[in-house]
Amino acid sequence: MKPTTQIAPKLRSGSEILIEALERNAVKTIFGYPGGTIMPVYDALVGSGLKHYLCRHEQGAALAADAFGRVTRKAGVCIATSGPGATNLVTGIANAFMDSVPMVIITGQVPSPLQGTDAFQEVDIFGITLPIVKHSYIVRSVNDIPHIVNEAFQLAQSGRPGPVLIDLPKDISAGMGDVVYTPPLAWPAACPPDTEAMQTAAEMLSRARRPLVIAGGGIAISDSVEVFRQFITRTGLPVTCTLKGLGVIPPDDPNYVGMLGMHGNGAANHAVQNCDLLMVVGARFDDRATGHLAQFAPSARIIHLDIDAAEISKLRKADVAIISELAPALEGIRPAGLANPGWRAQCAGWSKEFAWRYDAPVKGIYAPKLLRDLSRARPVGMTITCDVGQHQMWVAQHCRFNDPLEHISSGGLGTMGYGLPAAIGAKLAKPEATVVCVSGDGSIMMNIQELATLKRYGIDIKILLLDNSALGLVRQWQEIFFEGNYSEVHLADNPDFAAVARAFGIQARSIIEPEEVGDALEWLLNTDTAALLHVSIDSMENVWPLVPPGKPNHKMMRSNPQR
Amino acid sequence: MNHILSIQLSGSAGAVIRTLGLIERRGFSLGTVSVGNVENGGRVMQVEVSSTRPGDLLKRQLERLHDVLHVELKPAGVINPRRPDLRALPGEHK
Repeated sequence: MKPTTQIAPKLRSGSEILIEALERNAVKTIFGYPGGTIMPVYDALVGSGLKHYLCRHEQGAALAADAFGRVTRKAGVCIATSGPGATNLVTGIANAFMDSVPMVIITGQVPSPLQGTDAFQEVDIFGITLPIVKHSYIVRSVNDIPHIVNEAFQLAQSGRPGPVLIDLPKDISAGMGDVVYTPPLAWPAACPPDTEAMQTAAEMLSRARRPLVIAGGGIAISDSVEVFRQFITRTGLPVTCTLKGLGVIPPDDPNYVGMLGMHGNGAANHAVQNCDLLMVVGARFDDRATGHLAQFAPSARIIHLDIDAAEISKLRKADVAIISELAPALEGIRPAGLANPGWRAQCAGWSKEFAWRYDAPVKGIYAPKLLRDLSRARPVGMTITCDVGQHQMWVAQHCRFNDPLEHISSGGLGTMGYGLPAAIGAKLAKPEATVVCVSGDGSIMMNIQELATLKRYGIDIKILLLDNSALGLVRQWQEIFFEGNYSEVHLADNPDFAAVARAFGIQARSIIEPEEVGDALEWLLNTDTAALLHVSIDSMENVWPLVPPGKPNHKMMRSNPQR
Repeated sequence: MNHILSIQLSGSAGAVIRTLGLIERRGFSLGTVSVGNVENGGRVMQVEVSSTRPGDLLKRQLERLHDVLHVELKPAGVINPRRPDLRALPGEHK
């Protein structure tokens, strides 16, 4: 009998194939939590080249992957089991979707024959997440895994990034296949910017009497910070930033007029309401930035640069739209010069008039001043992650960012509980950075369990906890807009946060007096392991200015007239 | 404003529900919907929609979906004039 020369194809499990597909897409770090239907994948994880970080709640894993994706500009990966594991990821997926963050989510699913039978820990996570993913898959064959993983990474990372979910039934992850791997997919080339539109934009900028730029999160996402700075230096256009645009221009740049919007700076909001031409770069007219839309920048024509055609004229009609990568568009728009140098002087005047002040009489430690001091203590190489609430707005107002990736904040979704897992993701993405999580007493409790993750892996995060014994931003709104009818906002029965941290094995200190701030910040930043600084602040302190809902941006409140 | 959308879809699981879900979520009310198969395993869908929101914006929102291969948008007569769930966009369109 003739001996066979054919080598039998090597059969491997779906989980082994998945792990190799992830490795081939350059994944080294994943965040997750094991459970029933994802167990074959956790089995294959042992001895693989992937470093898995066990978070202590799936939401923590998803939010850590989100921040990892923001800082690396590559998809962060998170993994969980079916049912509650998958539903616990949902907030993190929505967070990534709203802020255009690349993420790949892998969920276990009950075996294919059981799907649709209300099996134990079965939920339709594919259906639940349809509105909050860029795309999603249910894997139906072991041999589809490499192709699906490649496509998921390409989709998550290219164009306007976003989360992509892969739902993996247990019969597929445990089944056998003999796949041929194909290389990861190249990103599809984006359309080049339209030459005629760039020419029109340049002419409009040259002719405008009061032109202004809004810099958004898209500039960091597309790695266009340097090109944007060159554009601003070349043109001398005044610039305001959205929350997610903070850091695209250095805070001391003479063209910078500050952050616009509900808690923006007076200079920025006056500039935007008075401009006659608005060039919007990688931003989407979010309602927290525009205030009352119909009265937003009422005299301005609009030039809108974005890679996503669906953002053009969604909320404000664009007179000129350039749908492309931002860098070539910014390089191609070459206005002759500014027609009206007086406008720059006016913006500079507003910047001076509305400069932040730190001398207001306050009880105890003044959080804005403390945050300014934090930035001064570590002017370079610090990344700040935020939770959501008053402290988040104070960070945006008073910390100084030299790069947008130094400021990791949940913008679109406003996810309380983001700060601590985000700090984990940011630190693992950029180990050389000093990573400070600025949190509040409300937010920290939403993912407090991740203190265990810090301890478990020795992740060096500095937590600055601003404790006003209240859900401060809600309390502020109840004070101003609900006639002081406080409803479910008082947290005077908070735990002893320093003791909580110590119970997790994290060093901690508490301060209450302004004189203690300097030493305490030194201690926090120079401790060589994770540490928590608990800062008691006045529970009645408010974030100013505030554009009331339904009002245009220049109608800022600077205090509560009822007090 | 009422429109008829002709949408070519990939044959992926969930493509139809993903597309219809986006249409409703983005503030368009669904009228008649018909779905058919095409030779390459894909689907073709004809959808009547009504909204105060601009149809070309919906077209661009649909074109973002990976499952959507092609969208054609045509104006249509009155389809469904008294739907209570139509939502206007904030502010005036300038």
